[in-house]
Amino acid sequence: MAKIVTPADCAQVIRVLATALLLMLPYFVAPFTLTLLTEALILAIWAMSLDVLVGFTGLVAFGHAAPFGLASYAAGYFAREVSPDFFATLVVAEIVVVAVAAATGFVATRASGVAFAIISLAIAQVLFQIAVAWRPVTEGMDGLANVPLPRAFGTSFGEGRAFYVLTVAAFVGAYAALRRLVDSPFGHTLHAIRTNEGRAAAIGINPRLHKWLAFVISWAIAGLAGTLLVFMKAGTTPMALHWTESGNVLAMTIFGGIGTLFGPAIGAITFDVLRDEFTSRFQAWQFVFGLVFILVVLAFPSGIAGIVNVAWKSLWRSRS
Amino acid sequence: MDLNFLFISALNGVVYGAFLLLTSLGLSLVFGLGRVVNFAHGALYALGGYALIEVMRRTGVGFWPAVLAAPLLVFLVAMAIERTTIYPIRNRPEIYSLLMTFGISLMMIGAVEFVWGTATSLITVPALFAGTVDVLGNQYPLYRLAATTISLVTAGGVFAVIQLTPVGLRIRAISDDAEVAEAVGIDTKWLLTLVFGAAAALAAFAGALGAPIFAIYPEMGTNILLDSFLAVILGGLGDLPGSAIGAFVVALTKAIGGGYIADWSVAVLFLVVAAVLVLRPTGIFGRGRIA
Repeated sequence: MAKIVTPADCAQVIRVLATALLLMLPYFVAPFTLTLLTEALILAIWAMSLDVLVGFTGLVAFGHAAPFGLASYAAGYFAREVSPDFFATLVVAEIVVVAVAAATGFVATRASGVAFAIISLAIAQVLFQIAVAWRPVTEGMDGLANVPLPRAFGTSFGEGRAFYVLTVAAFVGAYAALRRLVDSPFGHTLHAIRTNEGRAAAIGINPRLHKWLAFVISWAIAGLAGTLLVFMKAGTTPMALHWTESGNVLAMTIFGGIGTLFGPAIGAITFDVLRDEFTSRFQAWQFVFGLVFILVVLAFPSGIAGIVNVAWKSLWRSRS
Repeated sequence: MDLNFLFISALNGVVYGAFLLLTSLGLSLVFGLGRVVNFAHGALYALGGYALIEVMRRTGVGFWPAVLAAPLLVFLVAMAIERTTIYPIRNRPEIYSLLMTFGISLMMIGAVEFVWGTATSLITVPALFAGTVDVLGNQYPLYRLAATTISLVTAGGVFAVIQLTPVGLRIRAISDDAEVAEAVGIDTKWLLTLVFGAAAALAAFAGALGAPIFAIYPEMGTNILLDSFLAVILGGLGDLPGSAIGAFVVALTKAIGGGYIADWSVAVLFLVVAAVLVLRPTGIFGRGRIA
């Protein structure tokens, strides 16, 4: 019998092609576009990390600027004061983020729904206020500046192309890791909790423990994005922790389509590219984005990915 | 720090608290009735300020008629917003109302920036209350005291409407149990739209009345929105007397704490609110409802 091409095979091919395309892009685009793409991929990592909570665990976090900004501060401070080695910086930033996530997540995951959303917002606001008030370390509203370029494998990632490749590697790594995570038994357990927490508990799942783990994992991946961003921008300000940023990443994630991983990534890239296009051409960027977001919530709660999924499924149905 | 500094800080806190009271009552009312977590409340507050400017510019009327006209305009705008965006998602989980109103807020602030620009507008204090008044040896702006009094009287009016009028009775019925209220013949759908509009009008009134004190700029609503949330959660979501007390706790903590420990006071406030949400999600009086 001839080997049948399955949807899974095709998805795998698409993933490989997408990665190849991302890696080849630097040879075709202008340096400015490359910087924009780098930022877009960093935001994509951030949005995917939020999807772990919103899409796969059913916890709508309205404070996801917290791990992003926290990692930026930790990484930026370490890189400037101690060593700009990328991996050392990343480890330090992750230690800080995971420690804070473990503590705050312990409290936050006792709640769900709107209460969880507001507690996560409160956590982000506390960090924002600390960033503003703890001047000796954070330099107040001015923020951290003069963060050096990262070093790894004995070279400095000075050139835009090298840093872009590093970001692509981080993005692909984060996607693969999260994909494995959500397809694992652990991911299915999260799904059970999202669908019905009471019943999940009745069959012996510990919802608090799993929600807490999801929270910590989500923060850790967001920490990777925050570390990359502080190197890319050579600094950060308290505005990285501001609640409007939390709203933005939530909007990107929902716009892309929660519970799909690739949706939020596409949502983030679309958001970043559109923001760049609109802010330079006419000033009503926020208005347009708000309008599109309202329409998505109103009419397409499953986002871009929902539309893609429907098309994908109908494609395979017509073949069989 | 001397006692007079403490006194002035507290007085500033009371002034801010009176405005926060108006926005918090609306936020709490809308949640209590429609389970709507309204993130657009700050944008509606800002819209009140801009409506004031626009009415004064276009019709040439003075400050006071404009302060009354602004909430009316926002009332209509807010009812239209509720009907087109929040009404269709009423049956979804309440977290959707948060997402929807966040989108509305983005759109409204974007629209405000597009129409009126990003500059800060200062409104001159109306002649009636210009100048300062002697408060225990301090020269304190008279308008602040007058506006505070007006806000407090307005808030008192809101309580009176809810406790004493037939509409208030219906509102209390819905907030108690929306299904039963509907079963006994209350038109919950339109009442929710009406209350959303009224809450927005209250916020807009606060924005317009506070304009000579706090100035007008597109992002003017963001801080008061977060402070209102803090107040409402402290008091228990949907519990109006609790929200009123919460408003003054937040305003006084910010004003007095800000004088001594600068921005740390807000961090402490958020920690307290997170703790309240976890340990006592029904607020200080235990009468609110969250999940």
